Amino acid sequence: MILDFQTNSLTTVTQSGPGVWQIELNAGDNLLEVSVFLEIKAPTLDIRKSEIILKRDVLGVIPDMSSAAAKLVGVRVGPGMTKIVRELVGGVEGSNWIADLVLEAMEMLVNAITVPELGKAAEKGGEQIRVSSDGPRIFLNDVVIGPEMIKVLGANPRLKDSCAAFQNIE
Amino acid sequence: MKGDSKLISTTMPIYRRMKSCGVQKQGADKRVISGVLEDELYAMQCEILVDWPSLTIESIQARLKRFTTVKCILAEKVFLRSEGWKIDSQIEGKIKKELGRNGCRHMAALMIDCLRSLARSELANNLRSSMETAPNLDKDRFIENFFKDHPDLKGIAKIR
Repeated sequence: MILDFQTNSLTTVTQSGPGVWQIELNAGDNLLEVSVFLEIKAPTLDIRKSEIILKRDVLGVIPDMSSAAAKLVGVRVGPGMTKIVRELVGGVEGSNWIADLVLEAMEMLVNAITVPELGKAAEKGGEQIRVSSDGPRIFLNDVVIGPEMIKVLGANPRLKDSCAAFQNIE
Repeated sequence: MKGDSKLISTTMPIYRRMKSCGVQKQGADKRVISGVLEDELYAMQCEILVDWPSLTIESIQARLKRFTTVKCILAEKVFLRSEGWKIDSQIEGKIKKELGRNGCRHMAALMIDCLRSLARSELANNLRSSMETAPNLDKDRFIENFFKDHPDLKGIAKIR
């Protein structure tokens, strides 16, 4: 019932001018947290600005990433980028995790540019669809609070009548 | 104390992707990981039941909720192939190659994030309990010992 560990990431792509995009990726969990910022310009889709800010490193395992960030300037979004980014940002001197996040940020630009094209494709050749998977196969609730304990908790005036769980407790 | 406020952008985003993974212990020998991904194009979620400590994927449910083509939904079944797989140093490549290429690359990325969360969750829990008895423990040695005990988690944890 209670979560043991959580990971979150949010990537935002913004177009700041004609052919100029800014991508900001924030990813973090209980051990590590980082922000990756890239500015990418058309037509070559090369990185013009790059910044990597380490916000949390509980184990002290990530080296200084400023030189790796600087080396990303000039790298293009396109074929071969995976190998190049892994070499520049990952490896023994860098961080393979952050290299993956840089690649994810670059991939999100491709997705962002693709959205209007996919919209046009759906308009031209779209099909109506009503599909959904069956119900859950794996249940997130293994144990939940039973009626007796609801009564105990519901005695707290802050909880009493605060939601369906704590209404009509006898 | 002096306050500070800074405006970063005045432009609307054209694309946003949010991903979130949660790890639960269900009894001593089961872990359940749930993942969610949402962006302009896709909405999907997966739940994975892993046996501990054998690190075997017992069950997986990959659900595509919003997608782009009529064929995307076929990917859901492809992910069932991972039932019985063991989490080891090869798992990331295997997911990308066998499930991503034959099913859905976005779901594969979410599944990898989920398994990374599982590995890091075990590391974080071990660290927390070790620091209760030894608050100034040598973290390098701790990491070395953890992966000596759990060598299969090293690749997927990707802690650096």
